[in-house]
Parts: sequence; structure tokens; C-alpha cells
Amino acid sequence: MSSLLIRNARIASENETTLRDGDVLVVDGVIRSIGTALTAPEGAKVIDARSRLLMPAMFDAHVHFREPGQEAKETIATGAEAAINGGITGIVMMPNTSPAIDSPAVVKQVLESAAKHSRIPIYTSGCVTKGRHGKELAAIDGMRALGVKMLTDDGDTTGDPAVLYRAMQYATEFGMFFASHCEVPELAGPRALNEGVVSYRLGIKGTPACAEEIIIDRDIRLAHAAGAHIHIQHVSSKVGMETIRWWKQRGDVRVTAEVAPHHLLFTEEDIGDYDTHYKMNPPLRTKADTEALLQGLIEGVFDLIATDHAPHTPFEKSQDFVSAPNGITGLETALVSLYHYFVATGKFGWDLVVKRYSAEPRRMMGLDPVPVEEGKPADFILFDPEAETTFTTDFMKSKGRNTPFLDKTLKGRVDLVVLGKEVLLER
Amino acid sequence: MPRKDLLDIASLEREEIDHLLDQAVPFKELFTRSVKKVPALKGKSVLTLFYEPSTRTHSSFEVAAKRLSADVTNFDVGNSSIVKGESIRETVETLQAMRTDFIVVRHSRSGLPGAIAKMTRASVINAGDGAHAHPTQALLDAFTIREKFPDPTGKRVLIIGDILHSRVARSTSTILKKLGLEVAYLGPGSLVPKVGPENTQRFTNYDEAMKWKPDIVYLLRVQMERQDVQFFPSLREYHKLYGVTDERLRHIAGEGLYLMHPGPVNRGVELCDAVMDYERSLINDQVENGIAVRMAVLYWLKPDSQD
Repeated sequence: MSSLLIRNARIASENETTLRDGDVLVVDGVIRSIGTALTAPEGAKVIDARSRLLMPAMFDAHVHFREPGQEAKETIATGAEAAINGGITGIVMMPNTSPAIDSPAVVKQVLESAAKHSRIPIYTSGCVTKGRHGKELAAIDGMRALGVKMLTDDGDTTGDPAVLYRAMQYATEFGMFFASHCEVPELAGPRALNEGVVSYRLGIKGTPACAEEIIIDRDIRLAHAAGAHIHIQHVSSKVGMETIRWWKQRGDVRVTAEVAPHHLLFTEEDIGDYDTHYKMNPPLRTKADTEALLQGLIEGVFDLIATDHAPHTPFEKSQDFVSAPNGITGLETALVSLYHYFVATGKFGWDLVVKRYSAEPRRMMGLDPVPVEEGKPADFILFDPEAETTFTTDFMKSKGRNTPFLDKTLKGRVDLVVLGKEVLLER
Repeated sequence: MPRKDLLDIASLEREEIDHLLDQAVPFKELFTRSVKKVPALKGKSVLTLFYEPSTRTHSSFEVAAKRLSADVTNFDVGNSSIVKGESIRETVETLQAMRTDFIVVRHSRSGLPGAIAKMTRASVINAGDGAHAHPTQALLDAFTIREKFPDPTGKRVLIIGDILHSRVARSTSTILKKLGLEVAYLGPGSLVPKVGPENTQRFTNYDEAMKWKPDIVYLLRVQMERQDVQFFPSLREYHKLYGVTDERLRHIAGEGLYLMHPGPVNRGVELCDAVMDYERSLINDQVENGIAVRMAVLYWLKPDSQD
């Protein structure tokens, strides 16, 4: 495809609350012009958008692709296709693979597999400590040389604050930043479940929200002292959000934070009778928490939305609640669910979605955002707000079927994904 | 309508509870006859799967099944391939292939019996899962209380001990509240959750709790084995603050209160020796009634067709 003309689109951007009507002409992977009644060049592919939304493709800064080591759950190939299916053209892998991504050798293995099997760019984080054990520092500069920017022991907190503090002092000099999964292990239950009404009813030891809030505060304090950039992952509690807001208001530490769609949408009550499709870490908490998190997203306390896409095999999730692993998938459901529950109901606009799920995650990773503007690379999607998506196993490209949306129908559908010269998806 | 499984008390309707308690009465009457057996479940098979040690619950189920003429097999978990790493699913599939009609399961993991119930056509009876539920204990407790108070509405039951880790506290308080009784919890602040229990008074001081004027004092076994961190400083301190000491027993006797305990008891911890001889202790009634209500449960449940 040398050129592509999309007519009659409504274009969304991170800076405008209103949508702009127009045609978009792409030539050789670059947005050549935006206007009305553009003429299609000879041989151009022409798509009538019929007033569907055209917006920058999403970018997910928190996913688990399970390669190497747990390919029954997901591979880079299936994970990347799941991302495309959800309107996402870039992701950051977490390093809790097996072996963990804690050395240049494993980073190289991941990036080589990505180059071979993925149609979208794959970025990977690296461990703070070897094997994510929280003891010895990982090969930080060796990973940086291969493009790693984010250091995290995600899945666990880096337990020893002295280790994390030294790592921050060391790696900040190389322009790297830290992402924290926040949880005091001694306060955590054996499995992810909020301490409260539901943990009592189900008879499983719960994890109090303070287990997360303590480390949110600890890690920001460490970054404050070390002059590091700290990114707080998947915040699940009201006080956690307020802690980040307090530090941001001080303005003397570089702190960013993310919220996951499931923490905005669901509460512990949804677990019902031990439904493992609502089991993830940090756990679902209360209605007061989801309301505060939504407020935090609207206010800008959360810089980005990220899914924590965590595929597991159907067998693993069919076990009893305590035995089943933590995590749900998210790449294929995120955008549609954000539209269905929030944009369509007027809680926030498309500008927020573009800013928090496309532009800001790219900026955090040191990448340029991909606005739909003349001269910018083509990296966008078409979204039909009038259509519906049913999340059947046939629809989903991820190996994981562990989502609360399994076989559910929501408003909205990703119809087209364009990256450079390629049409990655067309429905 | 009979159910396939008995997993907890919360999902039972009031009518179902009444039915089971009524059904247990004629079964209990059998015990005084010279032939204690009826052919109700002749040809049916009951398999017990106990992953946690148990004396009275296990033997109670076994006696109940045998008095209904069912064939009972004890799946010896210690010697099975479960210790070789076989998953629960594989074990259940094996039992399914054996066409077992009833599986009685006890496990330390909350929710496991429910997961098993979804994997098998057999009726699954939860004989205690983690801190979640112990429905047959709740039924026998309700039966025992109804023998003393034919209309128990408004009677007050004070449950003392480790509420946080107790499946008995959860299931028994649920059934009592469904039957119209009032329930209060007493124990150390670290073991009586502030969030979770509904419609239940919470006490952490023995004398304050007694001012609530209970009709029945229900003692729980203090389970040191379920505590991953210390919840109170010592058993001695627990006994001093919450145990039924000789002095407290005199007060309980003076008020004419009934005493219950799911067993096995820790003498010198939640109660003193003299409690075992207390005339209003219902501990032995509970054991006997346990067989009757378990017969009622086995008689009531209907496995899915094995064809």
C-alpha cells in the first residue's frame, strides 16, 4: 500500500475535547494531508469512515507476554496480535518471565523474538534485581545498551529499600526510570484479595490496602531522596491515589502513575462466589476506591492507563480461588470497555483516552506521541462507537481467556489499525 | 427441591434449613433402637476426602453414611498420588470414573469444595474448607439449640474465640441469624474483624459481652495452627482474658447459660476442666446430633445422573 485515504472521519486528539471532521491522506506511511474532500491519488486504498472516530493508536506500558518460559499462557506473537486487536500499536513487557528479564542475554532473546514474530514494536522493561529476588542488582547498564529504560521487579516489590535506593542512585545517571509494584509482603495474604467484607465472607486472608499504600509512599520517598523518576504501577486504592497526588503537589520528585481499567470498573463484590476472573494483584477493592481512582484519572493524578495484561491458561484459572494465579487479560478489552463505561456515559472524553492511553505512555518511554497531524507517521485506529464487540474466544487473539468480559458484549469496536505503511487490522 | 451439593449455609433458604432440621429428628430417634440402620442409601457410595486431620467430623460422616446403608470409602490422602503432585482435578476425575455418588471433602483451602463440585456429577458435601464454611457443623449446632429452645427466635448466642480463622463461627452464626437468633462475637481485637461480619455485635472484653445477656455461650477452639503471625501474646493471656475459668463458669452456671463447643477442646485455654462436667454443657449432644443431621443431608442431596 503506497497511499491510503480515509474519508469522513471524526478525529480525536489529546488536546481537544471536540472531534474534528476531516479526510486523512496517508502516503508512504506518513500523514500527508488532512482536510475536506481530499482526492485520492492513483491506486490509493480508500476507506469511508462514515463518521467513525480516527485517533492515535494506543500504547500499553504494562503487559505480561510470558516469553520466555511460560508460552502456554502467551507468546510475544499472540500477545502482539491481541494488542493489535485492541487498537494498540506498542507495549512494554514486564520482566517476570522465566528466566526473568534481568540480563542483556534475555533482553536480546526477547527483542529477537519480537523482531521475528511481532507486527508492532515491543519494548521490554528489565529487572531491578537478579531473578527479581530483591538482593543483587541486575545487569542494569547491559540492558540499557539494548534499549531498556524501565526497571522494575513487577510481580513483587523490591523488598529491601536499601537495594532499591542504591539502584535508583546508580541507574538514574543512565537516564533510566523505575516502576514499582507496591505491596508489603508481610502484610499481604497468600493470594490477591482485599481485606474486608469479601475476604471475611470467603474465609481467605485478605491484603489490606495499607500494604500497597506503604510501598507507594516508600518508593516515592526513595526516588525523592535519590533524584530518580518513579512510576507507580496499577494503583488500586483511594489512599494510594491521594498519596501520589500529595507528592505531585509538592512538585519536587518526578513521579508518574498508572491505573488499570479493571480497578476503575470492578470491586471486590464482583468476586461473588470465588470467581477467579476477578482475581488479580493488587486486588479489587471497594466502591469508594473505584470512585476515587476515576476522580484521580480525571484530575490527572494518573498519567496513564495500562492494563497489566496477565494471561493464564484456562486450566490454571479453573482451579479454586486460592490456587488460581493472579491476573486477567486486558489488551483486547481495554479500549472498548473505557468507551462503554466512561466515554459513552460522559464520565470523560476521547481526549482523556488519547492522552492517557496513547500519548503519555509513549512520552514516559521516551517516544514521540503519534497525533493525527500532517507530517506525522501514520499510527492510528478507526473506532466505531455505534458497533458492538462480543469478547468470544474466537474474537480474542490472546492465549488467555481469563477476562471478566469473556462472552460479554460491549458498545464500541476497533475497525482499523494502521501503522506506517501497513494496515494491521481491518474489520 | 433437593440440591446437588451442600457447600455453605449462606446459599440455603430458610425452608431448606427447616426441612433438614426436621428430617434429622426421626434419624436421631433411630439411635435408641437396637437396629440403628435404615436402607435409605443402599447401593450408594460415599467417598470421604479429608486433606486436613479430623476425628469427629470424619467419623460422624462415616457413621451417618453407614446408618443409611451406603458404602463408604475413605480416600487416604496421605498415601494417594496427591502427595506425588497430582492436581485436584485429576483426583476428582478419578473419583468421577469410579461413579461415586457423594464426595465429602475437607481442605484447608477456602472455596475448594465449590471448585470440586463444578468438576463432578457427584454430590459434594463441604466438611470444612479453610476459614470459609462448615455447613454440617452449623446444622448440628442449630439442631442442638432447637432441642433446648423449640422456638429459638430472639435467643442470644455469644461466640467466643478466633472468629477471623473460624469457619464454624461463619457458618454457625449465619444459620443462627437465619433462624432468628442474635449473635455476638467476643475475642481479641486481632481475631474479631471490624469489617466483614454483618448484624453481629463485636466485643473484645468478657465482662462487657456478658452484659449483653447471652442465652448460650459458644466457645471456639483456639487454633494456633492457623496463625501465620502471632495474634495474641500467649495462651496464658488468652485464657485470662477470654477463657471460661472456674470463676466465670460459676457465673455462667448461676445465670443458667448453655455451653457449646465444636470440639476438640483445649483444656486450660478456651475452657477449664470443670466445663466438661457442667450440667448445661451441650458438647456431647452436639456430637450425637452431628450424626443425625449428616444423615439428613445425605438423604436430602441428589447427585446428577451418572448415566
